[in-house]
Amino acid sequence: MTADPTRSTLPQPLPGQAVAPRLHLPSIRLSERWFAILLVLPAILGIFLVVLFPLLYSLWLSFTDVNLLRTTGPAIELFGVRVPLFRWIGIQNYVRILDDPLYWSSLWRTLYFVGAFVLEATVMGMGMALVLHERFNGRPLMRSLLLIPWSLSRVVVGLLWVGILDFEFGALNGLLAKLGLIHGYIAFFKDGFSALNVLVSVYMWNQAPFAALLFLAGMQSVPEDLYSAAEVDGADYWQRFRHVTLPALRPIVFLVLVLATVNGFLMLDLIYVLTMGGPGHDTTTVSWLGFQTTFTFFKFGPGTAILYTLTALCLLLTFVYQRLLLARFEPEA
Amino acid sequence: MATTATVARGYRGGSYRSRSAGSRLVLYGLLVAVAVWLIGPFVWLFITSISYQRNLMARPLSFIPPEVTLDNYKMIFGLVRFHAEGQAAKIIPSMLNSLVVASVVTALNLVIGTTAGYAYARYRFPLKTLSLFALLFTRMLPTVVLIPAFFLMLRALGLQNTLTGLVVAYCSFTLPFTVWIMKAYFETIPAELDKSALVDGCNRLQAYLRVVLPVSGPGLVAGGAFTFMLCWNEFIVAQVLNTKPGTTTLPPVIAGMNGQINIDYSVIAASGFLGALPAVLLVLFFQKYLVEGLTAGSVKG
Repeated sequence: MTADPTRSTLPQPLPGQAVAPRLHLPSIRLSERWFAILLVLPAILGIFLVVLFPLLYSLWLSFTDVNLLRTTGPAIELFGVRVPLFRWIGIQNYVRILDDPLYWSSLWRTLYFVGAFVLEATVMGMGMALVLHERFNGRPLMRSLLLIPWSLSRVVVGLLWVGILDFEFGALNGLLAKLGLIHGYIAFFKDGFSALNVLVSVYMWNQAPFAALLFLAGMQSVPEDLYSAAEVDGADYWQRFRHVTLPALRPIVFLVLVLATVNGFLMLDLIYVLTMGGPGHDTTTVSWLGFQTTFTFFKFGPGTAILYTLTALCLLLTFVYQRLLLARFEPEA
Repeated sequence: MATTATVARGYRGGSYRSRSAGSRLVLYGLLVAVAVWLIGPFVWLFITSISYQRNLMARPLSFIPPEVTLDNYKMIFGLVRFHAEGQAAKIIPSMLNSLVVASVVTALNLVIGTTAGYAYARYRFPLKTLSLFALLFTRMLPTVVLIPAFFLMLRALGLQNTLTGLVVAYCSFTLPFTVWIMKAYFETIPAELDKSALVDGCNRLQAYLRVVLPVSGPGLVAGGAFTFMLCWNEFIVAQVLNTKPGTTTLPPVIAGMNGQINIDYSVIAASGFLGALPAVLLVLFFQKYLVEGLTAGSVKG
């Protein structure tokens, strides 16, 4: 350390005092820099090993003819470990998947899924946030309820909705029949489009509470006198929402939209637990198609190619997100 | 008159006492609806887990179980024998696997990720902006695209079907997040604290370890609880990488039971409830820090 606390208290000759900081300044800068680098290094190395390297390796795989049974052939040695490289076939995997009508139908289905999910999650998240933002007894308790759907494993989320939506023993059919609203039971997963919409809603049930938490955090930072002023001007609830709450929340709305879009594109586990992409291919999204191609049919080449088209999309959305964070939040924060 | 009264009290989304009976009724109606929506399904999972399958199949369905039983839980703990006891017996060992993996990943994240987050919050260094963008990207990256690579790499390393392999794979989606959350957290701690520690004669490392870290409890709790929850709940990676019996975590085991015709739904519900409990309790227990940390981490970047 350079800033010796005794130095300032001791009487020192004036010229010496003027020189000392000038001499020390470069060395402070350098050590500060190296100290920071040392702190970041383990994480950066770790991320390089467990994210960047696998990411590049997957990219490589998407251009090769992966044969899991073959152990000979080209490989790279990494720390004495032989990682197979397989046979380079150029863009053949990409050509193959883009030729496949199933890829395109999955893509359109994914777009529907993402659109519906983003809409449902944002509207429900905002709705819940607005209700929970009101003043009432037991508000903290109600807010902690938000955390329950969000903290469940998607396997459990899927499982508990099976218990509600199942044709035979599902509680919803039981309830509707009891109330006399239906005569025959509803098979929620039999029809493809209905199964897709059930997936959207179940995922929304899991994710909208987090959007609500973000909205609530935003609502709390809206200055209260804005509301008082609006009320004095005679604004009713919806006018206050449209002209005070919503403009203040705009950055958070964008944030929720971007996060929901990414999550929608990547959703996989609920499909696994609830529909396995079926009936037929009616709930097969691009991420499920890539997952199935890779790990059910063990076609690593085309599978990683499909997954890489998703990755490209995420990169694009990261740019949007980053723009958002830097452009909208930094000046205000 | 009424308006000025509300204004004077400090207005936030309608004050409680000045509300008309009608709007209070609407509000409480909405609150009940939100509460049922949020916890109804989870409560129903618990009810099915203490019911017999025959009562779930009975129509008209009664929402208050006519018979309450702990048999489903006893089956999981091996206290009651039944035809699928082999599968139920996997629940507890796989929960231990989940516990080991989640704890190790959390510990690694807290040590490595926190340190890096601190440096990002306080210091300037080469490639800082670029590596921050890379972090942001890895945060949004589809983990599933990494799995083929992990599959082949871990096979080459002989780490397939091991908990070590899972720890490595889980760091790929937790570490960037931890760095990000901790960076946002350290930015809320005034830099004057470190500066005064430096003036008091600490070196930079001491200022971090002895002065900043001890007051960073809330941030560490938020980062740690979130990492633990992510690992505890993770399904796809474990499902693909650890296929050998006894090597996998809880979610794949529950997913494996789900949809099997020979196992009663009530038994699966009991395993699901038991498996959900640790993460739910952890999150509820640390909710204050978690919500603050996560909203700051996502909103402020």
